[in-house]
Amino acid sequence: MQASRARLFKEYKEVQREKVADPDIQLVCDDSNIFKWTALIKGPSETPYEGGVFQLAFSVPEQYPLQPPQVRFLTKIFHPNVHFKTGEICLDILKNAWSPAWTLQSVCRAIIALMAHPEPDSPLNCDSGNLLRSGDVRGFQSMAKMYTRLAAMPKKG
Amino acid sequence: MQNQQDEIPVEPEKESTTFNAAFEADDWSNYKDTDVMQQHSAILEQDAAKFPFVGDKEPLSSLANEYKSGSPILLEKIEVLSKQYAAIRRTRGDGNCFFRSFMFSYLEHIFESQDQAEVERIKTNVEKCRKTLQGLGYSDFTFEDFFSLFIEQLESVLQGNEDSISHDELIVRSRDQSVSDYVVMFFRFVTSGEIKKRSEFFEPFILGLTNTTVEQFCKTSVEPMGEESDHVHITAFFG
Repeated sequence: MQASRARLFKEYKEVQREKVADPDIQLVCDDSNIFKWTALIKGPSETPYEGGVFQLAFSVPEQYPLQPPQVRFLTKIFHPNVHFKTGEICLDILKNAWSPAWTLQSVCRAIIALMAHPEPDSPLNCDSGNLLRSGDVRGFQSMAKMYTRLAAMPKKG
Repeated sequence: MQNQQDEIPVEPEKESTTFNAAFEADDWSNYKDTDVMQQHSAILEQDAAKFPFVGDKEPLSSLANEYKSGSPILLEKIEVLSKQYAAIRRTRGDGNCFFRSFMFSYLEHIFESQDQAEVERIKTNVEKCRKTLQGLGYSDFTFEDFFSLFIEQLESVLQGNEDSISHDELIVRSRDQSVSDYVVMFFRFVTSGEIKKRSEFFEPFILGLTNTTVEQFCKTSVEPMGEESDHVHITAFFG
């Protein structure tokens, strides 16, 4: 418990330092609970998520950093490796490939990389995965773009 | 005419089965990865209750008894071991056993030998590892806690200081999950740093073992807890 708190404090300081270096990620700690964080990440360019801002919720376990943080999308996203209803993310480093060498910041970077490079062979969103697996890139992109526009962009007017 | 077309044929029985099937499918989709992980850790906990990280001393004959009806080659090997060792300790087979057993026997060795020069040698090497990791681009805060815990254990087995510990205490600490896991992570960082530093040497072995890049190998097979150590890890660790 004490170790995870100390580590999160160090990450908090690091996040303040890195703010300028990584403008695509805005990581914020809950005011009253250092085990709860949220992040705003920008959809990577040249993907259907470009122009969107996606919110992530982090829940950090007491055994952190030996155990991975739990992360899910709060913003709806159409992506093969993100559960369409719950926002749960299928990413190896959040499961069995986790190691303390990762940080909340680098997890955000890994999620941005996953957005740009979906892995349709291990889908949590089967509809999305099937579109890509059947080679319907256009279909996938237009669905993903539509949900980016509906859920991840500021409403006009 | 219009009305008739819009009407859906009502077949209550069939409809109810479709609903059930849909409900079950939904049930499965609600079965999340976190549930799988929780189940996995529950299984590990059951194992934990049976085997401590480091077991009590057992005579070598207890091992020989287990293999009595097994391979005669193994029995011969146990015979060879018995010329040098009187007893064994079992460790928990959770993928970290190489590091855990090494940690215990190394600290026990320092405890018994009180070899100051060896402790100094290791401390110098640990500092080198720290520099290696920094040079590889690791942030200090990702590994420093593990490093300082290891140094703390190393210093505590040397007698005559305020923080010195007894042999019993060494066993207690080696069985303590947080101490043991932190030292395992220290070893994993050291191993990973060493493999990356000498990546040209390790590359062909890693290709033979897993068909991945050095970077990928360290990320998926060295740094995560519970990943078993193979000859690459062991060579790097002692290198």
